[in-house]
Amino acid sequence: MAYEEPIRDYDELVENCTCAFCGCNCDDLTYLIKDGHVVGVRHACRLGASKVMEDMDQRLLVPMIRNDEGNLVETDWDTALDKAAELIAGAVRPVFYGWSETSIETMKHGIKLGELVGAVLDNQATICHGPSLQAVQNAGYPVNTLGEVKNRADMIVYSGNNAMNSHPRHMGRYSAFPRGYFRKRGRFDRTIVTMDPRYTDTAKMSDIWVGFEQNGDYEFYNAMRAVLRGKKLKKDVISGIPKEDIEELVEAMKTTQYGSLFFGLGLTHTLSKQRSIDIAINLIQDLNKFTKWNLVPMRGHFNVNGFNIFMAFEMGFPYGVDFSRGYPRYMNGETNTIDLLTREEPDVFMVIAADPGAHFPGGANRHLTNIPVIQIDIHWGPSTELADIVLPGSFIGVEAAGTSYRMDGVPIYMKKAIDKPETCRDDEWIVRELHERVQKIKGEKIASK
Amino acid sequence: MKTITFNQKKTSPIALEFDELIPDTIYNWEKSDFDKYMVPIGNSKFSLSNYFDVEVGGEAESPAEVKMILNGDLGRVKYIGNKMSDGQVIANSSVDLHCGAEMSGGSILVNGDAESYAGREMTGGELEIKGNVKEFCGASYIGDWRGMTAGMITIHGNAGKQLGECLTGGEIHVKGNCDILPGIHMNKGLIQIDGDVTRWPGGQMQNGDIVINGTLSRFLEGFNQEEVVIDPTIAGKSFSGKYIKFTGDIARNGKGTIWLAANKNRHLL
Amino acid sequence: MEYIIKNGIVYDPTNKIEGEKKDVMFKNGKIVDNVSSDAKVLDATDKLVMAAGVDPHSHIAGPKLVVGRLYRPEDSRRGVKPKTATTRAESGFSIPSCPATGYRYSRMGYGTVVEAAMPPLEAKHTHEEIVAIPNIDIPALALFGNNWFTLEYAKDNNVEDLAAFISKWLKITRGYGVKIVNPGGSEAWGWGMNVHGLDDPVPYWDVTSREVIHTLAEANESLGLPHSIHLHPNDLGHPGNYETTVGSMDLIKDISKNSPVRDQTVHMTHIQYHSYAGTNWRDFESGAEDISKFINKNDYVTCDVGQITLDETTTMTADAPMEFDLHQLNGLKWANKDIELETSSGIVPFIYSGRNSVHSVQWAIGLEMFLMVNNPWQIMLTTDNPNAGPFIRYPKVISWLMSNKRRTEMIEHGEVHKAVGRKSSLATLDREYDFDEIATISRAAPARAYGFTDRGHLGVDARADIAVYDIKPNEIDPSNEYETIECAFGNAALTVKDGQIIVQDGEIVSTKESQTIWANVQGIEERENEVMKKVMPVFDKYYTIKFENYLVHDHYIHNPIEVNIQAGK
Repeated sequence: MAYEEPIRDYDELVENCTCAFCGCNCDDLTYLIKDGHVVGVRHACRLGASKVMEDMDQRLLVPMIRNDEGNLVETDWDTALDKAAELIAGAVRPVFYGWSETSIETMKHGIKLGELVGAVLDNQATICHGPSLQAVQNAGYPVNTLGEVKNRADMIVYSGNNAMNSHPRHMGRYSAFPRGYFRKRGRFDRTIVTMDPRYTDTAKMSDIWVGFEQNGDYEFYNAMRAVLRGKKLKKDVISGIPKEDIEELVEAMKTTQYGSLFFGLGLTHTLSKQRSIDIAINLIQDLNKFTKWNLVPMRGHFNVNGFNIFMAFEMGFPYGVDFSRGYPRYMNGETNTIDLLTREEPDVFMVIAADPGAHFPGGANRHLTNIPVIQIDIHWGPSTELADIVLPGSFIGVEAAGTSYRMDGVPIYMKKAIDKPETCRDDEWIVRELHERVQKIKGEKIASK
Repeated sequence: MKTITFNQKKTSPIALEFDELIPDTIYNWEKSDFDKYMVPIGNSKFSLSNYFDVEVGGEAESPAEVKMILNGDLGRVKYIGNKMSDGQVIANSSVDLHCGAEMSGGSILVNGDAESYAGREMTGGELEIKGNVKEFCGASYIGDWRGMTAGMITIHGNAGKQLGECLTGGEIHVKGNCDILPGIHMNKGLIQIDGDVTRWPGGQMQNGDIVINGTLSRFLEGFNQEEVVIDPTIAGKSFSGKYIKFTGDIARNGKGTIWLAANKNRHLL
Repeated sequence: MEYIIKNGIVYDPTNKIEGEKKDVMFKNGKIVDNVSSDAKVLDATDKLVMAAGVDPHSHIAGPKLVVGRLYRPEDSRRGVKPKTATTRAESGFSIPSCPATGYRYSRMGYGTVVEAAMPPLEAKHTHEEIVAIPNIDIPALALFGNNWFTLEYAKDNNVEDLAAFISKWLKITRGYGVKIVNPGGSEAWGWGMNVHGLDDPVPYWDVTSREVIHTLAEANESLGLPHSIHLHPNDLGHPGNYETTVGSMDLIKDISKNSPVRDQTVHMTHIQYHSYAGTNWRDFESGAEDISKFINKNDYVTCDVGQITLDETTTMTADAPMEFDLHQLNGLKWANKDIELETSSGIVPFIYSGRNSVHSVQWAIGLEMFLMVNNPWQIMLTTDNPNAGPFIRYPKVISWLMSNKRRTEMIEHGEVHKAVGRKSSLATLDREYDFDEIATISRAAPARAYGFTDRGHLGVDARADIAVYDIKPNEIDPSNEYETIECAFGNAALTVKDGQIIVQDGEIVSTKESQTIWANVQGIEERENEVMKKVMPVFDKYYTIKFENYLVHDHYIHNPIEVNIQAGK
């Protein structure tokens, strides 16, 4: 890596900003601001810094509506909002998807709108940690805040997750490296284990790499639990791991003082889906009979956990909440975005702070081309190509303040550092406007009857 | 006896929800009641008569005397027979989600396939599916550790993943093959699979019996091989042939039993 | 707008009004002693009128609750109700959604509910939920009993710095008082351990629970906070724990009260769980007699009960080691949440059943406490919601208290296990509460214990928080008509909050935004700054969040009720 000169040309520093990238929600960033733009970011990882600094890259700046020729053309806010409200008010099976990269304050208006029209509200968990949440619902949720790991943990396991690449500051700020109250020597006081079929960068950083076979996780964890219950393993090799290694690993996990397991999509999206997490949670519970263990899912977006928490306290269910009958319903495989789209049920789709165009399976996106799509976002992306109405929002944690929840559930108030482009609006404002306009249309409908 | 026949006029891309149209509510309905009825679709309600022409014949004093026949493409009709306690439902096509969910009595016959969650949290009655079923057949509502508690599900085709999840009673009989993890978290009851099972039956089971008459490709370490039993009686049912008995799942301190047909599973011995 | 509630039978223990037929008038959200002839008349002829209820200990908002809701969809599914023109959709039975929580308290005629445990690090979350709960005012008690700074100060017996720390942290978290949960035990859970009794040292901290409780009580009184320390003592739910409980109450007998607005120096919470005799679950029996004797002799103690209601519920407490034991006992899904430097917590679903001997005896112990503590100002109505049962069961508990006949029926008809007869003295207690005592344990006494002078009574200038129940106290025989009692207390004929009519005939007719009540100690700012100089280096080193982002900003507190206290006065 070439040496880069530090940035010295800036007007002001804003300290203690919160990173709007991954679920680490690092809140120690310093933004270097010049002419109303962030020109440099201190303390952030490359992922976070590039997202914050390139806020104007392919930026959506003005509301747009797709015309009859199929081109997006610029329009004014009133026209775009009225058109969007009209579509939402007339929909029979509307789906509002996304929310993980916006604030809780925005979601508050979103849920009101969803309840009003009987929509399905869903977030990115539906394609990422949804199975983890299902497993939590089946098996339990022994978690801790990341400071507990920093201060106490002497054994840290990453399972199905490559933190070095996906959450670059995770190991440095929270788990492997920091010096904690009871772990004064930091990394030297801890054993790091990576369980992953791939020899990842995280595995390279670890003391132990357990490279079990793909889709072999359920069987592997089952064997670990059996060993913990005192069983002599019968097969010599289980899921590609020699039985002696499993026995040794279990012994180490049992005799550690404080262990913490972090798991990612490499565990949630294998053959046995939520059951891999289910059994991992059960393993953690078993280990607590001997010593202290907790786990934390490595959440992706900075507020994906926030949406789940928000929906749970507002309506009792974490994601995929269907208001179509006036009360909340939650049924995996039925009230989730992907299932609804592949069944071709939705007739209006609103996407806010998410990019289904880039992430959804083809079958789901195919239906999006057939129905009106409303996009609230800050950047042009594959979803913009699918969108019929585009409403340019603002960047939470940079251009707008708002609340987010870290992967471990710690709430953080993300502050505003710069002004948004003049022609854009805050997400909160946009969704509130939509709610008010839909309310008006519904009111008029009732009055005309 | 009262026969109520639903003949489909047109399909809907958004599913119709039939949770109110069960023998318990409609046994005393006249044809005019059906014509008036607004069926939930998405966030709205539409006249049932747009979608189904309903014929009513005979009289019924109670739900038990109702025979409900559904004709047409039911691939977008959810909750058929949901929470019914008596009577008979015959669906002459493949059905959508939650068919027979939470039913406590009566019978449902599906002449086709069933989507996921068929027979979810059943507490009684009989559900027979001539085709295949998707995931979570006879399972619990998510989060609950108590699944189907009584009744009988018969599947003539194949079953999807996590069949009989958290099964707490009753019987599920699959005549075809079964995808991964049948009987996961099972507490009680009987699952009989006549075909093959891909992987890991009985994961984290605590009790109950799983009988596999076909071939099992991969097994979990959490099960201990016990003796070979000839012509066993399992959960009050007689089976003929040689079965290898396994107990587990030890990982959960479980005391469940898996019975494997010996002639098909020599590779596991 | 002026109103007059006419001809009700008023029970207002604070103002010594015991079943008088009189009018209650209010104007601009306050109780007044006269109104003009334009006042709107609300007829309550011969009906029961009380101040709106005050719940002294309930878990309704915060991270624990949300974990419960998130991981128990099967509970959320119970109690689902569609939205109406006035209300939002509801969900949940033992852990209702935020809107449902507000509506259900209003339907019971409640106006104020204390959230009993707020971890400072996640205080913002608690306040977000408070905002989402309509209709009731909510103070939240911040957790201090296992905080690392507290442990340090307690070890050094540094009351002065601890007091400044508390004062600062109440400002930071917008908390109302000092909650202590299993002092030392939740910190020990950081290593999968627990402390047993008052003198078992906390691992690595060289301090005992006795020292923690005593120092916190001293600090609390030195500040003169409106509420005393709120203590969930060690050994919750362990057979034989009554000794620890008596010891915990006894150890602060030397501390003198320093607040005119309350009577106690310690509030013992969910005392039922702490009144067990025996040595294991086999010889487990009631220890209520010893506990109630102590309370009857010592007026510096108040308590709430945590009455078992024999339901399938969700247990949740900052006493995390206890929750793990519970999970080992019942095998149901276990959630745990450890919070850096502050506390831990655990959650486990639990099915209390009258067929189970232990649960039945627990049920009896709670009722024994109610019946054996003589002074109703010292004992308060709670189910430690949702631990011993959901709060919507309060009307049922009231019916049990008012009817010996019903209690006897339950014992004799096998609705509870026969062990109740052998292991508790409940069957021999024939005391029945009257309406005045019910009003005391459900509004007057809790308000007094929290130093709320503006609620819990119907005196002039109090907030117009009023409940009218559709029973005629002068005609009804609660002993026989317990079902009517339960039904009436569950469906208020009228609930008024700050002068706004919220409930009519058991239905929500309007909603209002809830308010956060918090205690702002003034006069020791310099001392606070000194303490912060020592706190900050530790904070920066061991927390994973910046201090600026740790604070609860004004943004999270929608129209607060700030209780200003001059430190030490």
